[in-house]
Order: sequence, then structure tokens, then C-alpha cells
Amino acid sequence: MSGPGARPAPPPEPAIATVGLGKRFGKLWALQDCSVSVPRGRVVALVGPNGAGKTTLLRILAGLSSPTTGEARILGRRPEQSEQFLSSIGFLAQEIPLYRQLTARQHIDIGAGLNPRWDGKAALDRLGAVRVPTDRAVGTLSGGQRAQVALGLALAKRPAVLLLDEPVAALDPLARREFLASLAAAVAEQEVSVVLSSHLVHDLERVCDFVVLLAAARVQLCADIEEILDTHRLLVGARKPVGEIERAMDVIRVTQTARQSRVLARLQSPIVDPWWEVAEVGLEDIILAYMGRDAEGIEQEIVNLGATA
Amino acid sequence: MNLLVWRLHRNQFLFAASALAALTVVLLVTGSVMAHDYDTALANCRATQNCGDLGSQLFRGDGMIIDLVNLTLVVPLLFGLFWGAPLLAKELEDGTHNLVWTQSVPRRRWLSSTVGWALLAAAAWGGAMAALVSWWRYPENALNSRFGAFDIQGFVPVAYAVFAVALGIAVGSLVRRVLPALALTIAAFVAVRVPIAVFLRPHFLTPLRATFPPTSPGTNRAGDWVLSQLLVVPSGGSSHLSDFGSLPSLCETQGFQSKGLIGPCLARHGYRIAVTYQPDSRFWTFQGIEAGVFLVLACLLVVLAFRWVLHRDA
Repeated sequence: MSGPGARPAPPPEPAIATVGLGKRFGKLWALQDCSVSVPRGRVVALVGPNGAGKTTLLRILAGLSSPTTGEARILGRRPEQSEQFLSSIGFLAQEIPLYRQLTARQHIDIGAGLNPRWDGKAALDRLGAVRVPTDRAVGTLSGGQRAQVALGLALAKRPAVLLLDEPVAALDPLARREFLASLAAAVAEQEVSVVLSSHLVHDLERVCDFVVLLAAARVQLCADIEEILDTHRLLVGARKPVGEIERAMDVIRVTQTARQSRVLARLQSPIVDPWWEVAEVGLEDIILAYMGRDAEGIEQEIVNLGATA
Repeated sequence: MNLLVWRLHRNQFLFAASALAALTVVLLVTGSVMAHDYDTALANCRATQNCGDLGSQLFRGDGMIIDLVNLTLVVPLLFGLFWGAPLLAKELEDGTHNLVWTQSVPRRRWLSSTVGWALLAAAAWGGAMAALVSWWRYPENALNSRFGAFDIQGFVPVAYAVFAVALGIAVGSLVRRVLPALALTIAAFVAVRVPIAVFLRPHFLTPLRATFPPTSPGTNRAGDWVLSQLLVVPSGGSSHLSDFGSLPSLCETQGFQSKGLIGPCLARHGYRIAVTYQPDSRFWTFQGIEAGVFLVLACLLVVLAFRWVLHRDA
């Protein structure tokens, strides 16, 4: 739990709510019609292929960028240039920006003057625990150590919502695991909602309990991981025409071979049709199936192994 | 906020402080010597009633010191390049704006503080430098026109420094990368500063005009800024004084290489010399006008920089 006076009683608003959010750069929509609602206290995996609008969404939420359409709210408050809003969010940009010539300790000292609820001691302790030198210019640290410093700074603000944009993308597997372990530890002791974007789905599964999936600049999926796992099934059966399958269920992806149809579907109720053999399916496969969809329809992968024979 | 500014720019500050200290020592030492020599010579020549050629007798700083003092002309541009251009461009280029703009300080306050300190430093350093040079040039100013060193003394250096830094900041916030910002700052600074000095400054106020015979000692107006000297022919037309081709042939026989002879000859034939000039008494007015122009430009640039930083996506 957080320390005394860390945060007022939670308002009823969700941690993050967006309605019809869109962002256009020139003629290109980086994000379109994005409506999501994330309850407080979740650790959200914001996933999607490169260019899906993850960074755009996070930057709008952090108040760094303003939307072309729609609106975003964090804890019921629109992103704005006020101390009240800014102190409620923590943001870590993709390139892990730090002042290279300054040490971690200097960053922490500076942060104390810029933030009302700064917890510099916790940040130093946290960096000590992962053996990151705090008295060397951060430019001389490894990528993993810099990421730890940046995470420490974001957490030292004691934000209500922490936004992390691909923080582990550039890290080696070990540093990635340590970063996520630090994040998990912080989430356990600090009451904070987290949004963590990545295209590395595998990493997120360990720390996240909620998924927002962006693909083709739109929201494809926004739900609890448990719920996603419960409702998605892989169905395998003798080959059926795609149209017929689509009429029967909410199809995410179909793979047709000469004799078989393999269908990844979102089910409202258990399948009773004996045609299908039903199997559970992992989060990564589900997400990859969604990512493979184009903006409108389902993905069909027809493997024509002498289908006419 | 101030700790952030200090930590990021401490090295620049210390370097600039050292450079200013070194300049101060050099100018104080040489300036004291010069002022003392001048005062002594002035006292002596007053005693002998022969002060006409004082300038050529006096130590006016050896070549290197004079060069050093004249080099202060480019210091405002250096401020623009080292303090102004990278101030925002480096943050935007390195991405550290994403770090600082997501602290709890609203962007406008961060910007005001950062820009404010940079402009203040420019004004302080420009002012210190200008005061030193003005003081150092006291004998020179007494002997020759102050207009000759208009750009490095008085209070225009302060305005130049503030303008250069504001220009660097605005350019940096527009192009968002350090190297292009440096190049553009140099180009824009020169493109503004040179035309104003060369074409506008002589006409800040309508120049005065005086005519006198070629033999008159009035041709040597020590403190004034002479814009042009023309030879007025008796018929009323005029030509540039150096244009000897148009001199009346009747004086040629007397040898026009020597002004000592040609002057009385021209005077005899009714020629006169017309001078347009800005009198020494207008020096501070001109300083005020020029400083005002650059401070207004600096204000506009700061407004633009704020607009570009606050109303554009990060």
C-alpha cells in the first residue's frame, strides 16, 4: 500500500477512458476511433504491430500530444498542462530519455523540485536493489540500467497511472526480465495503474492482467486477460466453407487446408457442435491472430494443398 | 525548476564566467595603463598648448588587445549559438523533453524559466562586456568618434546578445535539431544585424549637413560620424571628394597630389566641401534606437518560440 497522504480516496472513474479518440498526422491516421475503458489498478498490455498507434495513444494520454478527434480521460481528468494532471501520471518514452551528462542521483534531486509527491528515497533504494550506480553519468550506464533509472524516476512521482512506451523493446532478454521484475515489484507495493506497450507479447503476459490490442490504427480488443483466455477457443474439424463458419460464430482467424478447417473464434457460449474439436489457446496466439486481421475482416489463410482433388 | 536549469547549464555558465573574468583582467590592466597615459599626456599638452596631435602619440593598446576588444563584436552571436540554439533543440533532439514535460511542472512554466534564465544570462554577460569595453575605450572615445566602435560599447551589445539568444531559441524550437539550428542562427543573425548596421543605422535620424571651404579645419570633425564628403563645384553640382578626375584643371598645375596646395587653390576658385554627418551628440540616441530595434525583435522571437513549443505536439 502507498504511504500516508499519497493519494486521496479513489474516484469512481476508470483509470483510462477514451471515446472516439483519433490522431491524424498530415493525411495519415495514426489512431482512429479509439474507445477503451480500463479499470483502476490494472496492469495493461497495450499491444499491436509497429505503427499501430500505441505510441500515439500513450502520448495523448500523457498530455504530450493532442488528439484530432475524440477525448481521453485519465482518472476522469483530461490530459492538460496543470500540476494536478501532470502529477497524476508517470510517463516513460520509447527512447528512454535521460540527461546523459547527469547522474541518477542528480536526476532524482532535480525531480524533487519538479513534483509535489516525490519519493526520492524509494527511487534510490530501488536502484540500489538492482545495483545501478547512482553516482555515474547515466550516459555511461548500460541500456538496462538506464531503463531502470527511468522507471525509478517515473515511479518516484508516485503517479496514479504509469504509462510505459515500449520500455523493454531495446533491452537484452536479461535486462528485460529485470525491468519487468522491478515493475512487478513496484506495482505490488505502490497502488498504481500501468499501461505497458510492446510488440513482444510474450514478455507482457507475465506482468499484465489486461489487454488493449491496437491494429491498423483501431482497437481490436480491450479486455481482461482471463476473460480473453476464457472466451477464445481453437476449433479443428473437417473442412467447411469459410462463409458457413462465419455465420455460426465470431471468427478471428481461419486456416483452411485440404481436409481441415482450423478456426480461432471468440465464443459467447460453449460449442456443442460435434463437428469441432475444441482446444484452449494461449494469449500470444490469440493476440497474433488479432494482429493479423486487417482493419475490417477476418484473416483467412487458405493453404491449397490440392483442394480440388 | 531552477535546479534543473542550473544542473544542465552549469558547465556553460562556468566557462562563460571564466572567459568574462579573463577579459576583465586583460581590459582592466591595459585600460588603466591607457587611461593613465592619456591623462598624463593631456595634462602635459595642455601645459604646452599643443594637443593637436595627441592621438598619434598615445599608446592605444597593442594590436592584440585591440583585436581582442574588436572581437567582442561576435560574442553576442556566440551566445546565440552556445546558449540559444541548443537550449530547446537539444532537448527536442535527445527526446529529454518527453522526460521534463511529463514532470508535474506545466510546460509553459518550464519554458518561461528556461528561456528566462538564458535571456537573463545573455543580458548580464552582454552588459558586463559592453561596460568593460566602453570603459576601456575612454581615451579612444575622447580622441575619435565613438561611432567607430558603435557596436561594441554602450548598451547595444546587451540588445544584440538578447536578440541572438532569442533567435537561437526560436530557431531551435522550430527546426528541433541542434546542427541545423546553429547554421540557421548564424545566417539569420548576420542577415538581420548587417543590413541594420549598414543601411538603416545611418538614417535613424536625418543626417546633418555642413559646408565649408577646403582649407577650413572644419573638415576634421573628431567626434562626428561622417557619412559622406562631397566637393561642391561653384556651379552648384557636387562630386565625391576622392574623385580627383573632376577637379578643375587649373589646380592641376599646382600638383593635386598634395592637399596642402590644392586646398587653397580650390578655395580660391569657389569650391566648397559638403559633409553629411551624424553629430557626436546623437550617439546615445542612436544606441537607444538600435537597442530598441533588437529588443523588439527579440520579444517577437520569444513569442514565436513559445507558440511553437506550447501549441505544437511534442
